[in-house]
Order: sequence, then structure tokens, then C-alpha cells
Amino acid sequence: MSAIPLIVEKHRHALHAGFHSWPTLGFLPPALGDARWTPELILATWVQAEIGRPPRNGAEYRVGRSEGGFDLLGFRSVDSERRIPDSDPIDTSISLNRRPYDRKLEIPVPWYGAGMSYGSISEQIMLARAMAAKEWRTFTCTGEGGYPDSVAEYRDHVITQIATGMFGVREETILRAPIVEFKYAQGAKPGLGGHLLGDKATMAVARMRESVPWVSLFSPFPFHSVYSVEDHKKHVDWIKAMHPEALVSVKVSTPTDVDMVAVGSYYTGAHILHVDGSYGGTGAAPEIAKKNIAMPIELAIPRVHRFLSSEGIRDEIVLMASGGIRTAYDVAKAIALGADGCVLGTTELVALGCTRCSNCERGRGCPFGLTTTDPELSALVNPEWGRERISRLYESFRWQIEDLLRGLGIRSVRELRGRTDVLTYRAAGEAHAGRAA
Amino acid sequence: MPAAQPEAILASRRALPRPPVAASRAVEAEGGCGVIGIASSEPVAGRHLLQALRQMRNRGNGKGGGIAAVGLDPAFFGVPARVLAEDYLLAIATLDRSVRSHVERNFVEPVFVVDHTAEIPLLAGAQASLGLDVPPPEVTCYFVRVREEARAAFGRAHGIADPAAADDEIVYQNTYRLNRELYASTGEKRAFVLSHGKDMLVLKMVGYGEDVIRAYGLEDFRASIWIGHHRYPTKGKVWHPGGAHPFIGMHEALVHNGDFANYASISSYLAQRQIFPLYLTDTEVAVLAFDLLNRVYGYPLECVIEAMAPTTERDFSLLPEDRRDLYRKLSAVHIHGSPDGPWFFLIAQSDPGSRSKRLIGITDTSMLRPQVFAMQRGSTSIGFAASEKQAIDAALESLAAEDPRYWSRADLFWNARGGSHTDGGAFTFTVEGRAGNGGTAGPGNGGTLLYCEDKFGKRIEPDATKRAPTGVVKPTGGRGPNPADIVEEIQDPVASFETIRARIPGWDYVEVANLLEELEQAARGGGDRLEVAALLTLLMDRRYSMGAMKRSCVLSMVDRAMLRVLEGARGARTGRCVWFESGAPAKDAKGLDSVAIVDGRGYPAEGPRSLARAIVELHGRGFRRILVFGVRGQRFIGCGLGPEVDGLAIDVYGSSGDYLASGMDGPAIHVHGSAQDQLAQIMKDGTLVVHGDVGQTFMYAAKGGSVFILGNAAGRPMINAVGRPRVVINGTCLDYLAESFMAGDPLSGGGFVILNGITFDEDGTMRDLESPYPGGNLFSLASGGAIYVRDPERKLTDDQLNGGEFAEMAAGDWEVARPFLEENERLFGIPLRALLTVGGRERGPSEVYRKIRPSRHKALLPEEGWVRPEG
Repeated sequence: MSAIPLIVEKHRHALHAGFHSWPTLGFLPPALGDARWTPELILATWVQAEIGRPPRNGAEYRVGRSEGGFDLLGFRSVDSERRIPDSDPIDTSISLNRRPYDRKLEIPVPWYGAGMSYGSISEQIMLARAMAAKEWRTFTCTGEGGYPDSVAEYRDHVITQIATGMFGVREETILRAPIVEFKYAQGAKPGLGGHLLGDKATMAVARMRESVPWVSLFSPFPFHSVYSVEDHKKHVDWIKAMHPEALVSVKVSTPTDVDMVAVGSYYTGAHILHVDGSYGGTGAAPEIAKKNIAMPIELAIPRVHRFLSSEGIRDEIVLMASGGIRTAYDVAKAIALGADGCVLGTTELVALGCTRCSNCERGRGCPFGLTTTDPELSALVNPEWGRERISRLYESFRWQIEDLLRGLGIRSVRELRGRTDVLTYRAAGEAHAGRAA
Repeated sequence: MPAAQPEAILASRRALPRPPVAASRAVEAEGGCGVIGIASSEPVAGRHLLQALRQMRNRGNGKGGGIAAVGLDPAFFGVPARVLAEDYLLAIATLDRSVRSHVERNFVEPVFVVDHTAEIPLLAGAQASLGLDVPPPEVTCYFVRVREEARAAFGRAHGIADPAAADDEIVYQNTYRLNRELYASTGEKRAFVLSHGKDMLVLKMVGYGEDVIRAYGLEDFRASIWIGHHRYPTKGKVWHPGGAHPFIGMHEALVHNGDFANYASISSYLAQRQIFPLYLTDTEVAVLAFDLLNRVYGYPLECVIEAMAPTTERDFSLLPEDRRDLYRKLSAVHIHGSPDGPWFFLIAQSDPGSRSKRLIGITDTSMLRPQVFAMQRGSTSIGFAASEKQAIDAALESLAAEDPRYWSRADLFWNARGGSHTDGGAFTFTVEGRAGNGGTAGPGNGGTLLYCEDKFGKRIEPDATKRAPTGVVKPTGGRGPNPADIVEEIQDPVASFETIRARIPGWDYVEVANLLEELEQAARGGGDRLEVAALLTLLMDRRYSMGAMKRSCVLSMVDRAMLRVLEGARGARTGRCVWFESGAPAKDAKGLDSVAIVDGRGYPAEGPRSLARAIVELHGRGFRRILVFGVRGQRFIGCGLGPEVDGLAIDVYGSSGDYLASGMDGPAIHVHGSAQDQLAQIMKDGTLVVHGDVGQTFMYAAKGGSVFILGNAAGRPMINAVGRPRVVINGTCLDYLAESFMAGDPLSGGGFVILNGITFDEDGTMRDLESPYPGGNLFSLASGGAIYVRDPERKLTDDQLNGGEFAEMAAGDWEVARPFLEENERLFGIPLRALLTVGGRERGPSEVYRKIRPSRHKALLPEEGWVRPEG
């Protein structure tokens, strides 16, 4: 009899014990995290994924130490008498279709899960994310690597992504989806298509994508069928011709003319504009792309928000932001800058034990069984355990957003949108004047 | 025309005031658009362009439309032909009536002698009746000559001796000044020059292209060259007519589909030559660059095209030595003025020197925008260039409906191969031989001559031995060479077709008309409707000799007969056929053999009431055979039918639109004619047969299916295809065939492409193309699948590959390829034996076909040894 199940069980046990005890040890593990995802932030996320609330030992769970971006933003403090009492309800839901036509769709929390492909992550992780999305009545996204049958059970909560390689995309997988996402670009490697290095294109991954095993899979940089906005409209019309009930999301990165891209997407009839800033992505992007291109998301959001507003079309399109949204506070800040909601990717992986070691491009590089399709490593994550962790993280996020809104005297997260007046900014190196974070 | 002192001309512009806004970024953003150009030996009325533009509405968004006409009708303006030919036609748009006297005082009278003034009448209440956001500008046309003293002063000041060059430059600079003061300055936009060339007129406004024709009442206005444009701007709440296409150089107007990335670079290239754009769109800088190269530098057209769309890569190395030398020099000087990115330009030009008129279509080096050219030659000749074939079909249909000198099918359709050594990616239609309407007769038919040349001056000619009918062809009721037996054996359409094929070379058009009349009669009862339709379909699809008749003329007659035969199903109460049309309630199939006959003409191109959704609905109501006719560019046919559809057959007649069969999983779709762009994206399974050519990015990321193409595929077919697609392309492809192909091992269930490299002449005789694949980037970076290319003379070379390698066609390869070639024979009548016959002798498959397979990729990383084979 194979000893593998025993070995897997032993490792799993050790990992779970580690996720539980590291945050309690009172000292930080060596070589964990970086300035954006500080060790405290990673450990605090693990705690949230376990208890459904922020850590109570005073550990920092809201910002990192990057001295830039969301880490320099905070929220103003408000008089305590304007605080909304805990007995009053706070609305954290957002609408995903603000057009006067087509299906109305709301999610009870202002976020959904980002596209991570089968191949970039394991089937277990996809399942865990889909189960959590179902539990929270929000969404997760297939990414560009096919739609495993096991995930189809959660189809009402799964976005089908169509990206430039169209791997694993069939009419069938499009027809399953309440939302279809066109991924034109991603903030982690703008201007480039998806990469899955040969190491990760296992037999199973290749079968799902109907490609050749062990050969690196590069999605084309553009859609070869879309070289202009009128081609893009045709692309959107195609989805509507196949699946008239689907909402259409357009995911783009943040080039300097992201505002024009936004307006173009509006005119083609998209319901959701998903702007992906440059901090996001796993470690599986080329160095040159990871570090050098695209606009940080905190600059892109207000730019797009303001431009759409000045064009008089802001209230007809949903703006979702992603690319470096780590914490509930990041979500709130993105919304205060002008987004309707956020899309979470890496955060969910951190909840499942990711330490940001950036070995994601290797087939057997992920010691936690997350960004791998290796049959043994991926067995380290039990989908049910994963659902629980992501779900608890969501619970903590919602609690924090509610708490933050109460403190600001705002009853609905929809009213927070574009409220840059509630934000504070500190110059790098200075301490925060207002409320923490 | 030799260059007249380019340095002096450029230097003379130093005194011009600079634009108020520096051009660093194209402020006006837009993507692709809909474009069409017509060039005709006999002037054509605007309503025919209108029809084409109307059908391409979904390529614009109503925020800008425009037309240009060259080779005008003097009667429209009330001027003598001589004035039209010799005067500059200064067309000025005023957005504010009060500015007109200012314009005349400052920009017309000081510089010009005005021979005639004409206002273009604006349709009363145009804004309301056409539903326009912005009122169309009022347009005044001044027929002017440059004042002697102005010319003399200009010549003295700048040392420009040639009076024609001086006149052009004076007009050009005057226009710049007017536009700068009254349009591009920061204040209110009040007036701008639409066009100033000789014998040409531009009109544009905020609206669709066809709105322009309606608003200015150009339905009956005739011109030798037309270009029309729908714009798709994506920024701003307020649009101005000046931002719409066409933009002008000197004696030319340009419309553009696409956008380019190096606006700033071209602007600085132009600024170094004292040229400053005023409208801040990439289209404007394109035409400014064209004018610079063409008029100021006086380059021959070939060099102008090369400077704009340089020949690159392998194509460059295949040019003759003298061309390489010349092109290298052009690139060295002008590469920064060469638009980089996806674009397709249509240029309408008048040449006052020779009094000829031109329509020029140029595609970018990478062929990133769709483009198609066409030509029809009878007692008149007409040429087209457009972003979609269906727009050309619409214009021809409109012409044919009222003028027997035209028929509804073009003789030739083709695509340009951008930046290539074969055609240079550009074609020019030239109308020669008369000075405006009513001028002196020149050579050729009807006093004028139209011809088409590629960049290198090679003529594109329909088969000159075939003759179009003279006048209207009417059936005489006679039985000609006895079509009775054909009608009698109609139960076997294939046998009937063979009978006709044997006899038709000896027939004339009247005899064809008689046969078709007989067939329509036979169908009228309803019993034999589908059999007659099947016979007419074979007449349309197959390639065979029609004697001295033109194939396009005969097929236009067959098309009309087909329309009537199928329309007959409208009122029919008996038989298997069930009629559908847009707006009619859907019905259930009467049984498994029920055939839905769908009149495609009234359906919108996309959306919930589209033809595509109607087909989905009919399938849901039990129809297993759907016959769609009269298609006019409707998109997405065969999309949305769902997974694993079994036993559904769809026949498509007419001008089918983009994305046909995209996502298809199971049905069989036969397209009786050429198809357009983006066919069979992500196709999973089923059969697609196209009795003609297919457009750009065919089978992008397809997963499977059996696909048979009678003609050519345009650029980028099969990119990123995976799984098990099996494709036969009997013609060739422009470029990038099967890039990143990942379709497993063809010998164990994977995918492949068979490329036959053949074409058919007008007599239906099969001929080898010059090369089965003229481009580079064949099978680039492919990791799976194979290409089986018919290349008996081993013309393809290693330098066309990038990551692939040639291999022998082994017995196993032939075993998988053969059934597809047999099916190809059944579908298209292309005998397998004929494919294997080279130089009069039938050869073994490995002598005729070559295999291209992925070359061995990098060995597995050591770590991958850990992973068990069945992960």
C-alpha cells in the first residue's frame, strides 16, 4: 500500500499546526514576507482565516510597510457621537450590474475572487475558493486554464474568464457562467499574456487545456481577434449572442491611458470594468514585467472614477479594482478612491498559508500545495479546510468594513465610493495623523 | 510628377503660426472603424455607398461619419467641366453662420479668384430626422484659382518656381491658417476646411457615414471615387464634425480603420518638416505624412507606400537587390514617420496633372485590421476596398438592382499581404481618361478606363476572355438546349448538376436564364423546392467552365433564382419547408425532416433579436436543418447552440458575418460563399465547410472540429489552437498560420492542417499557386499537431519556419490525412488524384505532401522526472 496518504496527512497536520502557532509565538519567523506583505500582515491574515476576526494581540493587520500606495493612506477619525450604533444594520452589498437593462446581480460583500487558472493553482484551491464564494453568495473566477468539472457544481458563483490564449474556454463553459470576464491584460504582467511554464503544464493541466504536456503555455499578448474598440464590441456581442443572460466584465491593466480604455469598455456594453494594478499576481510573472510596468492601482482607481464621472457614465458601469488588495482596509481605501468593489487573489492564497515565497512558477515550487498541480503537493490542501479559511477571512473583512463604516458614519459601502474626503495621506516616513492605518 | 523643391516648400511653412496645443498624444481616441471605397469607370451615385455604410453601422458608434468623393459631377455644382477640372474646390464647413463673411474676407478673397460659389443643400430638419447629436455643418463650396499676384509673391518669397507647386502650397497653407484660427484654437469651433483639392469633395459630421449622404442629399450625386467611413471615438461627451474622417492632404482624402501607437513619433517627424497637426487624431497625421511624401517630396506611389508600411523580415530579403537598396534608404529616412500598429488606410485622390483619379488601399505590415478588395469588369468597371466583404456585396447589390451594367457578385475578391514582397500590401484603383463627367472620351469602355495595380505595379485583372451580358438578360421561355431533362431528373441534384456542367460551356446567358426559369417553375409547386435549391447550391459552390460567360455573372443569376425559390416557401402550406423571417413568431418543427427556411435580410447584425438568436430558438424548437438565405453581414451565426449538439445542419447563403461558428460544438455549417473574420473561434466539434475564402484569425484557440475551406484564409489562422482540429485549406494563408499550435500528436488523435496551395481559374481548372504559403512565421512556436503542405516542388524553405521542421510524409501521416482529402473531394469536387498529379503523373503522397512538425523543444527539467506520467 502506498505510504503517500500518510505522508500527506503528516505534512498537512504540521502545516496546519504551523499556521496556527506562528502568529502566537511573539517573534517573527525569519525570511517571511516583504515590505508590502509584511510578516505581521501574513500572520494576521492567518489569524483572520482561523478566527474570523482581526488578531487581538495588537499585531498590525491593516497596512504593510511599503511606504507607498495604500500603506500611506488612512481613514479620518470621526466624533464618537456620529458613530452608527452596532444595533443598526450596515449595508456592505454592491451591485454588479448598474445598467438599466440585463440581469440584476448583487453580492453581499464588496469583493469577489480573482481569476487564477487551473495550472497556476490546483483543483483543490479552485474548489475551496468556489465553495467559499457560494457560501458568501459572491464569485470566484476560473482564470484561463479550463473549468474543472468538480467546480461546475458551483457554477452560479463562478466567473468564466476568456483570456488571450482561450485555454479551456468552450461555449459550454461560457454558458455556465453568470458573469463572463474578458481578460485583456493583468496588472502583474501588463502587455504580456498569461504564462504557464512547462514545469507546471502537467499531464492533467495539458489535458484540461488540450495542449501538449510539459510545454510552456504562453497566451498571446493581445487577443488576435481584437485590435480595436470596435473589435472589442464585437467580442462582447459574441458573448451576448451565445449567452444573453451573462454579465460581461472586462479586465484590463493600468496603462497611462486606462481612462480611455474604461470609456471604450463602457461603450461596448460591458457591465463591469475590472482594473488590475501593478502589485498583483503571483510570483509566476517574468521579473521585467513584475517590477517595471503599469500604474499602481491607487492611482488608476481615482483616475478612472473621475473620468467616468466627468463623462457622465460612472453610474452605469461597475468598477472593480484589484492588484495588491491585501486587507479589508485596502478594500475600503480602494472604494473610497472610487471603485465599487475589489477583486481578491493573493489574499485568499495567504489565508491558505501562502508565505509569498515567490516560487509559484515551478511545478513543485509551492511548499504549501497552493500554486501547484503536482498531485502530491496539491493534496496538502483539503478543499473543505480551504473553504473554511477563506470564509473566515471574508467574515473578518466584512466585520472590519462594517466597523469602519460605523466609525465614519456611513451606512452603506455604496456611499463610501469616491469619498476621498474620509481618507488621510501621510508622507512616507511620517506617522499617521488620523485613525490608524 | 517630379518634386518641386521640397526644401523650399517646407521652409516656406516656417512662418505659419504653431498650433495652440502641441501634439504629443492623440487626444481623440478611437479604435477600428468601418471603411469602404469605390472606384468606378462610370460615376456612381452616393446611394450605393449609403447602402454599404448602412450595413456596416456596427463598426461605428454614430459619433463621426464622413465621405469623400473624387471625379465629381459638374452639374451638381452648376459649373462648367473645365472649372471643375482646373479650379480648387474649397469646401468650407461653418458651424456658426456668422463666421462666413469673416472666412470669405480673410481666407478666400485675399488669396483666390472665385469662379463659382455653391452651397451644398442641407436636408431640412436633418438633425431631427436623422437623430443627430450635433447639427451637421453648413457647407459652402468655392471654386477658386490662386490670384496671380499671390502666386508671384509666394514664388518670390520662397524661391518656388513651379506655379502648380506654388498654388498647391498656397492652398494648403491657407487652409492651415483657417483651421488653426477658426477650429483648432482654444475658443469656440466655428469653421474648418473640409477639402481643398481639385475635383474632390469631403463631407463629414457627427453621425454615421450614411447620415452624411442623407443630410447633404448625395443619394443621386455621382462620383468616380467614393470613400466612406464610420467612426468609433471613445472619448468625450461633445464631438465635433472636424474630428470625423476623412482627413485631407492636398488632392487626397484619407479614412482609416485602426489606430497606431507612435503618434508622438510621427508628430515629431512631421514637426521637423514644419508640419503641425491641428485635430490631434492619428488619422490626420497619417494623411499629412502621405501628402509630405507624395506631393512635397514627389515620391512615386510605390515609395510612398514603402515609407508608410515598410517591407520587413523574410519578405524584405526576397525583394530584388535594387528594391532592397531603395527601401533601405527610405527606411533610414522615414521610419519615424511610419505608422506603427493596426491600420488600414483608404485614400481617394485626384491627380490634376493627369486628371486621373485613384482609390488606394494600404494595410499595415502586420495586417492587423481586416481588409478586402474586389473588382468587377463588364461594360463598366468597378473596384472596391473595404473592411468587410459584406459592405462590398451591399454596394454591388444596390448597383445591380437599378443598373443592368452591374451584377451582384464581384469577379475577384482578394486580401492584401501587408509589407510583403508579393503585393506590397497595397492596391490602387485608377480611373483614367476623362475630365470630370462629360469630359472628353479616353481609352477603354465608356470613355474611361479603370485598372488595378498592386504596390509594384502588377495589374490585377479578371479573365479578359469572358464577357458579361450586354443589357438585361431575360428568359425567352424557349427551352434552349433542352433543360427539360435537367428538370425531370431534379430528384437527383448531383446528376442534374453533372448534366449542366457538361452542357453549360456552350450556353449563353439567355439559355442560363431559361434553365433557371424552368427550375423556379419546378420549385413553385413546393414539392421539389429543396431539390432545386440543392442543384442551385451546387451551381454556386462548384468550380467549372462556363464557356465564354463570366462566372460572377452566371452566379448572380443563380443567386437571384435561389432567392426566388426559397422565397416561395413563404406562403407554402405543404411540404417540409417552414418559413421564418425577422419579427415572425417562431414555430415548432413539424417533424425531424422539417426544414426551417430563414430569410436573413431583416435581422439585426447582433443582439437579442439577431439572426444568431433566431437560429438558437429554431434549434430549440426541434429543427434539425436550417437554411438561412439573404444574409447581409449578420454576425455570430451558429453561436450559442450549446454543447454537444447532434444532427443539426445549417446552410448559409449570402454575405455571412463575423464570428460564424465560434464556439460551435457539434453542428454542421455550410457557408455557400466566402465567409468573413473570426470564424470558428474556440470551435470544439462539428463540421464547418466554407465554399470560398475565410478572413482574419480563423479558428483562433479552436479545440476541435473538421473544417474545409475551398479558398484562402487571411492572416493568423489557427493561432493557439489546441486539441484536435482537422482543417483542410485548399488555397493558402497570408501569414502566421498555426502559430502556437498545440494540437497534440496528429498520429494519435491530435490536430493538423492540410494546406493544398491551389486555386481555380475562371474555367474552374485547378492550378498550383506560385507558392503554397508565401509568408513567414509558418507554424511558429508550435508544440503539437502538424501541417501537411502540398509542396511537390519543395518551394517552402526553413526560413519560413520558426520552431518547426520539415519532415517526410510517412504512411501514418497519409492515413490520417487521406480521409480528410477524400471528404474534401466530396465537398468541393477537388479530386484527390488531381492533387497527387504533378507534371501529368500521379505520384505518391510523400512526393507531393510535406509534413511540418514541431521541432524538439527543450528537454524536460530534471525536476519534472518526479511527476508520474498520469498526473
